[in-house]
Amino acid sequence: MKNPDAIVIGAGIVGASCALALTNAGLKVLVLDRGPVAGGTTGAGEGNILVSDKDPGPELVLALRSRDLWFEMQADVGDTFELEAKGGVVVARKDDTLLKEFATKQRGAGVVADEVDAQGLHELEPHLTREINSGIHYPQDAQCQPMLAAAQILRAVRARGGEVVTGASVTSILTSAGRITGVISSRGKYSVPVVVNATGTWAGEIAQLAGSHLPIAPRKGFILVSAPAPHLIHHKVYDSDYVANVASGNADLQTSTVVEGTRSGTILIGASRQIIGFDGSMNIDILRRLAAQATSLFPILRDIQLLRAYRGFRPYAPDHLPVVGEDSIVAGLWHSAGHEGAGIGLAPGSAHLIAQQITGKTPFMDPTPFSPRRFQEGAA
Amino acid sequence: MSRPIQSVEFTFNGEKFFAIPGQSIAAALFQANQHILRKTRMEGEERSIFCGIGICWDCVVTVNGIINQRSCLIEVQDGMVVKS
Amino acid sequence: MIAIIGAGPAGLAAAATAAQRGESVILIDSASQLGGQYWRHLPSNWSDDRSLHYNFDKAQKYFDLILNYPNITRYSNAHVWQAEKIDDKFHLYLIKDGIEEKIVAEKVILATGAYDRSLPFPGWTYPGVMTPGAAQGMLKSHGVLVGKKIVIAGTGPFLLPVAAGLAECGAEIVGLFEANSPLRWTLNLHGLLLNPGKILEAIYYFKKLRKFGIRIQYGKVVEEATRTSVIVDGKVISCDVVAVGWGFVPDLSLAGILGAKLKVDRDGTVLVRVDSNQETSIPGLFAAGESTGIGGSTLALIEGEIAAGAKKTFARWRAQVFAQGLQRVYPVSAKWQNNIQGQTIICRCEEVTQEEIRASIDELGAENGRTAKLFTRAGMGLCQGRVCSRNVSEIVASHTRRKVADSELIAGAGRPMAGPISLGELGDGLGKKF
Repeated sequence: MKNPDAIVIGAGIVGASCALALTNAGLKVLVLDRGPVAGGTTGAGEGNILVSDKDPGPELVLALRSRDLWFEMQADVGDTFELEAKGGVVVARKDDTLLKEFATKQRGAGVVADEVDAQGLHELEPHLTREINSGIHYPQDAQCQPMLAAAQILRAVRARGGEVVTGASVTSILTSAGRITGVISSRGKYSVPVVVNATGTWAGEIAQLAGSHLPIAPRKGFILVSAPAPHLIHHKVYDSDYVANVASGNADLQTSTVVEGTRSGTILIGASRQIIGFDGSMNIDILRRLAAQATSLFPILRDIQLLRAYRGFRPYAPDHLPVVGEDSIVAGLWHSAGHEGAGIGLAPGSAHLIAQQITGKTPFMDPTPFSPRRFQEGAA
Repeated sequence: MSRPIQSVEFTFNGEKFFAIPGQSIAAALFQANQHILRKTRMEGEERSIFCGIGICWDCVVTVNGIINQRSCLIEVQDGMVVKS
Repeated sequence: MIAIIGAGPAGLAAAATAAQRGESVILIDSASQLGGQYWRHLPSNWSDDRSLHYNFDKAQKYFDLILNYPNITRYSNAHVWQAEKIDDKFHLYLIKDGIEEKIVAEKVILATGAYDRSLPFPGWTYPGVMTPGAAQGMLKSHGVLVGKKIVIAGTGPFLLPVAAGLAECGAEIVGLFEANSPLRWTLNLHGLLLNPGKILEAIYYFKKLRKFGIRIQYGKVVEEATRTSVIVDGKVISCDVVAVGWGFVPDLSLAGILGAKLKVDRDGTVLVRVDSNQETSIPGLFAAGESTGIGGSTLALIEGEIAAGAKKTFARWRAQVFAQGLQRVYPVSAKWQNNIQGQTIICRCEEVTQEEIRASIDELGAENGRTAKLFTRAGMGLCQGRVCSRNVSEIVASHTRRKVADSELIAGAGRPMAGPISLGELGDGLGKKF
């Protein structure tokens, strides 16, 4: 593609969603990735599309719209990535007061959050431990297969005139008078007025190449994958510690219990958060903790085998809000990064915010809270 | 080949089978001409042993309620309840 | 303390040698009996008949040594699932009787052996299609004949003892098909000259085959299996079992987990790199037997002894010459792909077909094996790619007109866990520390 209207750097779920939104808005889009499709954090994602874990505020507004956009994407691209409105169940291990208060606030912001008693819980999840008797059911939570989603979305992008080049490392981003003019990659040079930085955990590197900066850092997480054990767990089930951990700035290891089944029959177990740079090494103690937490919620899992465990690096910004919007130092450089564990859920919403702003339409929500400007005021 | 007289008893999908102590579940079933061990979870295709040494996991059955147990490796115990 | 993982020929030789030298040895194996795959035998309380084995005296000698040395602790029915090197010690995590235990050792010898290499073909997932190792294992360990009319096919010297053993126990071998021509033995004459014992072994098996009227047919492969027959060279052969094998593949899970450097052999087999002392790139971690190069029990015994400190350089060298020569005599051609169809299952565990793998390339843009596996789930099932990984890589490579990169082969040989552990066992943590 000689002169694309926009280059999206990053062929993960965020980049793919941006590429689709821009393509559907009539732009000629080129997607570049130094690795394969879904080669970064998307390849380590669980496929979560959640509203249940979000505090009322801009991120929740984005999440609600984005969740609906997922189903619009399915209607647009096809039912090819195991998208399921399976719903989430958040349980309180001890005192449920905080959880109920949280749910009340969320309801005020448009989230469907139904209180469930012991009987209701066990109808929703028959194998849940009887020691828990209070929870909230969030029917809006959904799940997909993130690698397939990225790949199928990019397939639609190609079918509609876009192009995807993998194995293309971006080595230079050209600017003139504070504005994007082009991109040089290991597989081609391009003249382009708009660049979308959808490189997730590595977004800071791309920002730097363009002469700007973004404080995105990695937050390591492990996932356990069980042997196929179909029909045991019906929703995404997690305990209310999850919410506190996501918002925490604590660098030490934090774990919470997250358990969900998949279409293929395996059960995914998380979640751990660690700020440890890009150290990808295996940590047996974390695996143990995750397993113990999961079996405490679902004792039936005790006899299910661990098939494999893998890790990924969630991209996060210091204030734990995603960075979605135009760079304030380099015009024409747009970021959609730092979604920290919510990248899949927030991808289409972020993509629409960006596409709407690029094409001069009214964004569906005030994008200011996500603007990169908040890290760039006063920068040279 | 000489064989000891005692045997152990187990059930497979409700049917009674015998094994010589030390035999694997798969061996005992094969001895009784029961070759089909399970159906695959997606296409429902019949499977039997393939590698026979615990590498391929094709021979998995449920033993006393525990799923994904390799029948080519597990020695039959008296009273075992085995299911496809 | 020396921990030896695997009680086949390499592990037994290493344990005996180390014990002889006065070392404290712990011999860990996932089976209940000693012997690994090569020396599978009926339980002794059942039968002492070892006539199915060629030269079982050697095996028995090792079994007796192991049982008699007081400084060898046997840890059987123990599955090592993880390992770490912390400072100068190796921490081995294993499951025994449903409890997780840890063994700490200053030196570890990996002797985890190999398994039959399988190539897909139409109908290969039907009941009755298996590896030669499966047919032999059933017979040698459990006294069970897998079928009455058996076809044996593939390539390699292993087909002969399998055919002979099954025939000896009353099976009718209705076909024995070796894909490669016997004339290829001219490529390993020096191997035979250095190892004349192998000639005697060959004669032993040819005599057995002749006794049962089994004729080897060369240059033929099983093209397709139905539920009751196979098709070879266009002809239908009625049978109830077909045992097909294409040499061996070592299990390198533990070597990879501990970070030992791996390499790719001339024939594409991934191996652990070792020096002349059988030490891997990780100090204190040794490997012996099939994982350093497929070479059968002869080479495995020698390497086991060397790993435990013996000096047997010449013996190892001449066994290696023979073993490497075998690669030239029994090559496995990448042309196996010409025999498969779109609907042929490639990943048995997740039931992924060739069609689906190609679609992941053509439609979803996968350009290498790893991405194709992520999109299709090939290699993500219970066996974690042990059976299909290389085959998927070769299919992707030929469909994208590339060669399989060494790095991809090496990645396919690694996995985050060496053995199964239940979530309960994992969460409960260590029950015992050694």
